[in-house]
Amino acid sequence: MKTPVKPALEESGDAMTRRRVLSWLSGFGLFGSLIITALSNLIFIKPRATYGQPNRFSIGKPEDFPPGARVSLDTRRVCIVRDGDKVAAISTTCTHLGCIISVSETGFSCPCHGSRYDQDGNVTGGPAPRALPWFQVSLAPNGEIEVDKDTEIEAGNYLRV
Amino acid sequence: MSTRVTLAVVSFVVLIVHGIVFYDQFFNRWEKHQTAYFEQARSLAKTDAEKHALDERGPRIEQIIVTQFGESRVDRCATCHIASDDPRFQGHADPLRTHPYSAALGDVERNGHWERRHKFTDFGCTICHDGQGRGLETFYAHGEDAFWPDPMLGYVTQANWHAEFKAKLTGKEYMQANCAQCHTEDNFAGAPLVQRGRQLFFEKACYGCHRIEGLSNGTLGPDLSEVGKKFKVNYLWEHTVNPRSFQPTSFMPKFDLTDDEIKALTVFLKSRRGINFAETSLGQYRARLQHTKAEETSKTQSSTPSAVRGEQLISERSCTACHKLGDRDGHIAPDLSYEGLIRDEDWMMAHFREPKSRIPDSIMPVFGFAEADFHSISSYLKTRSTPASFKTGEEIYKNLCARCHGEKGDGKGVTYLYLDPAPRDLAKVAFMNSKPEDRFSQALKTGVSGTSMPPWERVLTEEQRRAVLTFVFQTFVKEPRPELKAHRVPEQNPVAFSGDSVHRGEQIFLQRCTGCHGRKADGKGPNSLDISPRPRNLRNSFFVNSVPDKRFFDSILYGVQGTAMPSWIDYGLTQNDVGDLINFVRSMNPQKVSPPSEKAPTLTSQVKQEVLCQGCK
Repeated sequence: MKTPVKPALEESGDAMTRRRVLSWLSGFGLFGSLIITALSNLIFIKPRATYGQPNRFSIGKPEDFPPGARVSLDTRRVCIVRDGDKVAAISTTCTHLGCIISVSETGFSCPCHGSRYDQDGNVTGGPAPRALPWFQVSLAPNGEIEVDKDTEIEAGNYLRV
Repeated sequence: MSTRVTLAVVSFVVLIVHGIVFYDQFFNRWEKHQTAYFEQARSLAKTDAEKHALDERGPRIEQIIVTQFGESRVDRCATCHIASDDPRFQGHADPLRTHPYSAALGDVERNGHWERRHKFTDFGCTICHDGQGRGLETFYAHGEDAFWPDPMLGYVTQANWHAEFKAKLTGKEYMQANCAQCHTEDNFAGAPLVQRGRQLFFEKACYGCHRIEGLSNGTLGPDLSEVGKKFKVNYLWEHTVNPRSFQPTSFMPKFDLTDDEIKALTVFLKSRRGINFAETSLGQYRARLQHTKAEETSKTQSSTPSAVRGEQLISERSCTACHKLGDRDGHIAPDLSYEGLIRDEDWMMAHFREPKSRIPDSIMPVFGFAEADFHSISSYLKTRSTPASFKTGEEIYKNLCARCHGEKGDGKGVTYLYLDPAPRDLAKVAFMNSKPEDRFSQALKTGVSGTSMPPWERVLTEEQRRAVLTFVFQTFVKEPRPELKAHRVPEQNPVAFSGDSVHRGEQIFLQRCTGCHGRKADGKGPNSLDISPRPRNLRNSFFVNSVPDKRFFDSILYGVQGTAMPSWIDYGLTQNDVGDLINFVRSMNPQKVSPPSEKAPTLTSQVKQEVLCQGCK
């Protein structure tokens, strides 16, 4: 710590310059710690983990979902859609007021205020403002399908299994 | 000048300290593990999509919230052990290693792929492994803290276990205790040690004293229903090996157990946590209800009592875990081999119903068997009526006396710790040579009432009894008997029994005797712990009623040689004082003791009040 200070002393010999160097150094140290403190406070505020069920979860092997299946997992609030060898996960939380919506013949319907969606989650009726989001689906190394509710993807993107 | 330099230096130090703290707090080891995992997984990835997905994943806390088994658990183990469910990492180093697949755990292999029976997303990790699921650092997560009740099992924390049994109990074996949290069925093959432990709990008669919800109803010892939750494995192990290692005053006997048996018992006890993960509270209630019903029906279904059934019951109910009967010997309680000649059926039945009603300081628990079972056992014991055929005094002593009085006659046979009053030290010359010979022959003949010394009258002939007495005096006492000085004591108590006399006796007792005999006259005064033999329990009615006034006078006035009882004539007690004392002691021990409910001493109301209230004063 002292090493950067000493050469400055020897080199200049000028009192004003040395004083300036020293004050720059102190300022750098103090402001640096201030920034680090602020940064750590900001990081600290954001929770690293919450006590809900995890947003990335596996739902079982692709064989569990036969082609053409539309299985609604109510506890996870997703609907697993399998079309041939393509798999996707569509949210089953109504975009209107957050009720759990159920699978109907034409797509999805909300029991609370009668919102209706088509097979791909686009709004076809009722008060719902937006289409249902699609979540990223991937194949975990142990061969199970993994849904990541943190990552929304564009409608129509399927995972081939 | 120098202040500026100091300021610069200090501000730099502050910056560095902040930097270190920042690094320490926000650059975690688990992040490094996860980054390493992503890198390795990327090199193993086969498709671009897989690689792309890995690129998008950054380090974060992975947690499983288990809600199906008891209280919900938060297991963050997968934060470091992120590859635990990735089959490509088999044989890698910890923590990036696949959790082994095992057919014993119910994992199934199909077309080269293993499928787990216990999926981590459903079961979590700590349910089998213990440890602290929320911990994100090794120290906290594995519970290496010496005070954490359930450290992670097996390999890591075994290092902290007590050296004595480290080699004897592996983590894998210990883990069976956790299997039994859900697999409660009696014949679950996955947890053989729990099985064996449960068997031993009955074989070693633990059930007689201890209660375990749904298994046994003993009341003498602590309830063990939740013992696994309360105590760590090292306590359970050592307490089973030697009950006095933690509690010097414990009267739990030390049972004959091999290392394997102790291991099974420890694992079994560790599995008693009072909760069953797999059951709801409603299910638990239903099971308890069914159990009590089954118990009631088994109690009412009494078979006709018979000696054959009695013999069967003695093995079934493990009487010989403590008692000796023929070849079987538990080294704790008296020999029953000649019981048919020693006690009659009434005595046995009363003793079965409440052992303390015949031997007041007995440690034998009250077994809640059906009355018919007791009848069966006593009718079997009645058949044990062949007199002993031993010839010489030595033979008789070795076979009948040494078990309590010890091979050396010092009163320290295998059972001495569990008998109260303790067996007489026959090698104490001062005592042995100060009592008239007929006292010993009488004790041999009729036994000592209220103690474990049985009457040998019908087991041994008079000749045999004389032989064994001669053997004792020749071998243990050795010194020749001196001429006994006749003490001047009255045959009968000259002081008439009256409320006044009892009251005076009580006053003297409280002043002179309580230090050893205790305020309750139960022989447990403050000095009693340091005295051997222990002071008499003067509320042992059987004993007190069997002692004539003359012996009382002799013992109090002239003391008992070889014991701590002094000669009270030297301390100024007159014959009348002693007469009062005897009346007081007799007043606490009514002549006729029948059912235990009427055992309370019949005192005059005033004395009663004082005696009983003194306990609380």
